[in-house]
Amino acid sequence: MTQDSMTNPDSRTDSQSTDLERSNQTSDPLVDSSIDTGQSGGSGGETRTVIESRDLDVFYDETQALQSVDIEIPAEKVTAIIGPSGCGKSTFLRCINRMNDLVDAARIEGALNFEGKNVYDDDVDPVVLRRKIGMVFQSPNPFPKSIYDNVAYGLNVQGIEGDYDAIVEKALRRAALWDEVKDQLDSSGLDLSGGQQQRLCIARAIAPDPDVLLMDEPASALDPVATSKIEDLIEELSEEYTVVIVTHNMQQAARISDKTAVFLTGGELAEFDNTDKIFENPESQRVEDYITGKFG
Amino acid sequence: MATDQQTGTWYGTGEAVSRVRGQAFKTLCLSATLLALLSVFVLLLYVANDAFQPLSADTGWLLVTIGTVVVPSLAAVGYYYTRDTRAGETATIALGLPIVSLLLTGGVFITFEHVVSVYQWLSILVSLAVAGGIVYAHSRVRTEADLERLVVVVAVPALALWFIPKLILSLPMLPTQSIALLGSFVVPVAVVVGLFVRRQRENDRDGVIAAVLTLVGAAAGFGVAPVVGITPFVWMLLVTVTAVPVSLYVESVIRRGAGVSGLAFPLIVVGGIVASAVLTDTLGFAGPTPWLDWGFLTNVPSRTPEDAGFYPPLVGSVMMLLIIIISAFPVGVGAALYLEEYAPQRGRWGRLVDLIEVNIGNLAGVPSVVYGVLGLALFIRAGGLGSGTALVGGFTVGLLILPIVIISSQEAISAVPDSMRQASYGMGATKWQTTRNVVLPEALPGIMTGNILAMGRAIGETAPLLIIGAPAVVRIAPNSFTNKFSAMPRQIYTWSGEIDAAFRHGVLAAGVVTLLVVLLLMNGAAILIRNKYQRRE
Amino acid sequence: MSERSIDVDLTRSSSGRVVKERIYKWLLFACAALTVFVTAAIIYTLATDAIAFFMTEDASVTGFFTGTEWIARSDGGTFGVWPLVTATLTITFVSALVAVPTGVAAAVYLSEYASDRMRSILKPSLEILAGIPTVVYGYLALVYLTPALQWIGIPVSTFNLLSASVMVGIMIIPMVSSLSEDAMSSVPDSLRQAGYGMGATKYEVSTGVVIPAAISGIFSSFILALSRAIGETMIVVMAAGLRPRMFNFTNPLDNLLSSGQPMTAGMVSAVTSDATGGSATYLSMFALGLTLFVITFVMNLASDYVASRYQEEYQ
Repeated sequence: MTQDSMTNPDSRTDSQSTDLERSNQTSDPLVDSSIDTGQSGGSGGETRTVIESRDLDVFYDETQALQSVDIEIPAEKVTAIIGPSGCGKSTFLRCINRMNDLVDAARIEGALNFEGKNVYDDDVDPVVLRRKIGMVFQSPNPFPKSIYDNVAYGLNVQGIEGDYDAIVEKALRRAALWDEVKDQLDSSGLDLSGGQQQRLCIARAIAPDPDVLLMDEPASALDPVATSKIEDLIEELSEEYTVVIVTHNMQQAARISDKTAVFLTGGELAEFDNTDKIFENPESQRVEDYITGKFG
Repeated sequence: MATDQQTGTWYGTGEAVSRVRGQAFKTLCLSATLLALLSVFVLLLYVANDAFQPLSADTGWLLVTIGTVVVPSLAAVGYYYTRDTRAGETATIALGLPIVSLLLTGGVFITFEHVVSVYQWLSILVSLAVAGGIVYAHSRVRTEADLERLVVVVAVPALALWFIPKLILSLPMLPTQSIALLGSFVVPVAVVVGLFVRRQRENDRDGVIAAVLTLVGAAAGFGVAPVVGITPFVWMLLVTVTAVPVSLYVESVIRRGAGVSGLAFPLIVVGGIVASAVLTDTLGFAGPTPWLDWGFLTNVPSRTPEDAGFYPPLVGSVMMLLIIIISAFPVGVGAALYLEEYAPQRGRWGRLVDLIEVNIGNLAGVPSVVYGVLGLALFIRAGGLGSGTALVGGFTVGLLILPIVIISSQEAISAVPDSMRQASYGMGATKWQTTRNVVLPEALPGIMTGNILAMGRAIGETAPLLIIGAPAVVRIAPNSFTNKFSAMPRQIYTWSGEIDAAFRHGVLAAGVVTLLVVLLLMNGAAILIRNKYQRRE
Repeated sequence: MSERSIDVDLTRSSSGRVVKERIYKWLLFACAALTVFVTAAIIYTLATDAIAFFMTEDASVTGFFTGTEWIARSDGGTFGVWPLVTATLTITFVSALVAVPTGVAAAVYLSEYASDRMRSILKPSLEILAGIPTVVYGYLALVYLTPALQWIGIPVSTFNLLSASVMVGIMIIPMVSSLSEDAMSSVPDSLRQAGYGMGATKYEVSTGVVIPAAISGIFSSFILALSRAIGETMIVVMAAGLRPRMFNFTNPLDNLLSSGQPMTAGMVSAVTSDATGGSATYLSMFALGLTLFVITFVMNLASDYVASRYQEEYQ
């Protein structure tokens, strides 16, 4: 969050504690701008689009990782991105919060709009963008700091003011970790188990209250029990956040997502629709082959 | 395979496969390695023999010492080595830590004695505290003024350091040196100890207890020190720099419960030495007359070998290290941070960075004598600093070890897992925030190790000091960075020009042993940090 | 998409933060760029004063690079660099004879034969050897090695090139061994296994597979170590003496037994003598320094080049 929004009483950082204010906030653009682009596939047509890409190409040196991707990601839903390995699903995710900027070889063409603004415009500061879009990574990567400091990290670096104890507790509660760690907030985040670490990372990501939560195969390094906890958590989080999750696990996508995008080899978006439709009656033959396990 | 055509069985060593040549080769390689090591270690044994002159003692003294010190220590080492390696580790640290901290105590003592007086130190601390308060207040009052704060952060400490020390030092009434030390050194150390214990134990009460114990232990010096025969000043330094780390370590070993028997080792050694001293005294055996004794360490150089001492070069070396620590280390770590975290990999700018990296590698191979010439031209002739001063020596040797500092820091920084950086950037941290909050703390042990090893290199450098005109003999220990100074290796070189055997085989050996012991302890500390760090990985 | 969305949010980075980030970046860059400044300063200072040296009456470029006599008095002298260069070359050559076989043998042992326990003892010991200051090596050569050589009947003088060379050789052993060992242990295990799979013995694998595969890394370690030997100062100043002598081609061994003055020692003697600031003797230090710098710099670059070629082979 920027300095200005910090001191502004109406800003969402200060509305942290009350969900009521928050929902007002997020619904504002809906009222004002009627962004609704009208989803093609049935049930979710009333939602607004938060992220949309137009003709998005990504190259790593000469290799093309994404091919003219067009996608519209709805607000406050879980959007799953699936596809065989190397199909560019993580690349797409990292385009959204410009994490690909950290890779020198990456080159991006086309537009990726967040709330109507192309994030690759020259005047966009990727740091500000990332403060609005939280991210959870494939393997749990808590900092070698205390649990408390891990969750407060985003608040510190973003210069958010407020009652840190309350914010940290709230984030940990939302990440369903509070009861397990409330007595050991000062111990290192690395002392937790893998599943707990990942929930800590989720708490860390939601503590500064971003608009969107990106998850890059968040459960791939976890055992089944921990995985199901993370999945429950994602479903709960989708009530407040727009969640985009990359997964290689089709059952997981089917279980938790509202919308599913299928990327196929070569970085091409083969199909994007409601999850039910994708898994029951995909339009593309190649997607059906992939879903039914004929390749990938 | 036509096994039936061979004479023996198909297995085992037939003549078709010659083992002799391989064995001979292996033996040759091993003996070459051992030859390289032993040739130096044997020579060093000679040096140690010259420095300590053990054979000048009575046979009885030697026998008693062997019986009370050497045999029990070796027995303990054998026990630890074969039975309990964990305790062996504890034993190494339990013996090494007090020695290293005593060395550090000596360094701090010399610093207060010759570099910054306690009052100067006190005034610096007060200035920094005032500046910190102002900066904090500014950040509270004007939360948004980022740029303005940048100015405040730079200007206020500078102004504070400029005016407040003068003000304090001109006060008509100053507390006694010991009280000033208590306030300006012991209290901060106690606070740090308290915070450290609190973090380790996750317990506020323990932290407070540790801090109070430190403070009380140091303050007890006002009553106890005169009884023991030292000044309260030295007592306080001993408590804060030696006793506190040692007791923290002992306490942690006992609480951990593993390898506790290793704690007995220093007791065995020290007990043996005390027993030996008492026994030889009562039996009337005369001990050796070593060249390396307390007098050697505290005297000034002299033309008569018996009076010759090493104190001014010791002070000079400490001063040089201090300058290196505040000049070369920040620059070296900064450069490493730039190269690892900021530098672009491609494009024209990336090629420039490649050039810088190649250049650093080459600078590491430039002969030290050339750095001496650089220091002479840059700092003395162009910069106008005095020839042979501690400042010039520190800067010159600092430039010399800069490539080493950069390369080792780069290694430590690149070992920080990328997932940490990703996590931080993903949280919307800026590059500097990521570097300062995530990368630097994680890489710190590795950076420390590299820097201590670089310090070891710096402390032994001689040729640049000759070129920048460090005088052959300094009879008065320098009291300021702009005084002429001599360092340990410089003094050794001077003594090597003396033809007298008492110098060659006595004083010189004592100087060399002192230098090597300091080096060995520094390298040992670096290796300990490295091992502890690696185990955590 | 609506035009009046919340785009301000993405661009409204507080200017203070951006400026702060930039300042930190440039500060750190300045630290890195300082190293370039150091190189430039070395070249500049050496070159300007070397030119000043060649402009003095007593010295000339041709005289310097072809002369076989070096007499440095406080008021001037004759400056032909060959006596110093030949002394440096002699020391480098003899020290290479000591260090190269020993260092490579140690590297082979550590990389191919040593058990973990043996390695855990030998490697730190070699590191200790590498950490000993050169002034200590010089002292060992002067006070212990030279008398020892005399004792076993080698007629060396008090200052002599032989014991200095041997000590320089011992000093660079750890450098050869650790760099060569790095090269050998980065030979992929699959190559070794291929060798064993063909029924080769450990000896055959070490000499026939590992050493050839690591040869450019080993060579690069030689070059680096020799460049250290050329630039080594304290050992030669203390043990080889400060009297320049032209190499005696009629009796090469005699050169080892008597004293000599290598280039580095020439620099030290120029600056520690009574020579005044602008005199030819004093300035000769810079000409020597420049020669030394150029030689070692080229050798370091050559070592880099050899080593990088070697890396390509396994990429």
